[in-house]
Amino acid sequence: MGMVDSPNGRDSGRKAKRRRKRPGFHIDMTPMVDVAFLLLTFFMLTTTFSRANTMEINIPPENSEVKIAETNVMTFRIARDGYAFWSIGEGTPRKMRLYDEREAMTLSSEVRQVLVQQTKANSKLVIVVKISDQAKYKYLVDLIDEFNMMNIDRFSLDDFTDADAMAIGILASGVTEVPDLN
Amino acid sequence: MSKVKSKRIGFRIDMTPMVDVAFLLLTFFMLTTKFRPPEPVQIDLPSSHAEQKVPESDILTVSVSGDNRYFMGVSSQLSRTRIFERVVQPRLEAAGMSGIAVADSLQGFKLAEVFPVRKNELPHFVTAARFANQRLRPVVKADANADFEAVNHVLKLFKESNILTFNLVTVLEKEVR
Repeated sequence: MGMVDSPNGRDSGRKAKRRRKRPGFHIDMTPMVDVAFLLLTFFMLTTTFSRANTMEINIPPENSEVKIAETNVMTFRIARDGYAFWSIGEGTPRKMRLYDEREAMTLSSEVRQVLVQQTKANSKLVIVVKISDQAKYKYLVDLIDEFNMMNIDRFSLDDFTDADAMAIGILASGVTEVPDLN
Repeated sequence: MSKVKSKRIGFRIDMTPMVDVAFLLLTFFMLTTKFRPPEPVQIDLPSSHAEQKVPESDILTVSVSGDNRYFMGVSSQLSRTRIFERVVQPRLEAAGMSGIAVADSLQGFKLAEVFPVRKNELPHFVTAARFANQRLRPVVKADANADFEAVNHVLKLFKESNILTFNLVTVLEKEVR
């Protein structure tokens, strides 16, 4: 394996092939080729061509204002414990779990159902997402991902104010103790 | 290797082409491989189905770690030098550092792919980066468990600096580690 025959004037003794008239010598290249393959394998296995995946976000400029009818606004509030509250216009928020399981990667089927139903029922629906400051960044990404997959592009992010906390707080205290998802 | 003495008819395979190809590949991988610089913090990215890739060059990365610390990275050394001159250098000079010491820390700063930034300093750095290179593409790389408040701070900052298009780094949902 990996031998080089080199025509050379010098006779390298026993190793020279007998059938040839010209005396040459061999260099045993096996170790070099071994190392080459080792390095090749190393580089092939460690190289990742992929660059990180990203989702692009476009936000409106600060002083732009769009007026939308109240009935076309769906407010989607996310509390710190992984519960979502949705309401249309000024209606009372309804509560649902954001995830089915603790370590789930996608949103719960309930959330998805609501989104599908509401966007189907009203094509002019604009979703305003308000995420509590104590909530996790993951919620935002999962939600935007869900919107992207459902081709919902009419959504916006808004600040989670004390009023929002009140709106869902009243509801949360009315029902039984919520288990902390985090 | 060539046993002429033996009666057995041996055979040889000419491996030269294979070795040639192997070396070609080896050279290719060796030249194209760029080792990932060690990161100051481990960031567990959230997963999504987005398949868009990060832009190749001119990126401004703002990282938020799981414990809500901020890190910033600018991909080109030229931009880093400009940021240093704009933000860090005046501060060091105000602290009474000599010219040599400033030049020394510039060298260190130029090589730092990612550097930690305090929350209140972040606006200065982002504006400086914008001044350094207008075409910088902002990218937010935040840990899935970072508080929304910490990330929202960055998003608001972008909005204030009139950066209206940016990317959130995620991993593809299928191949989550």
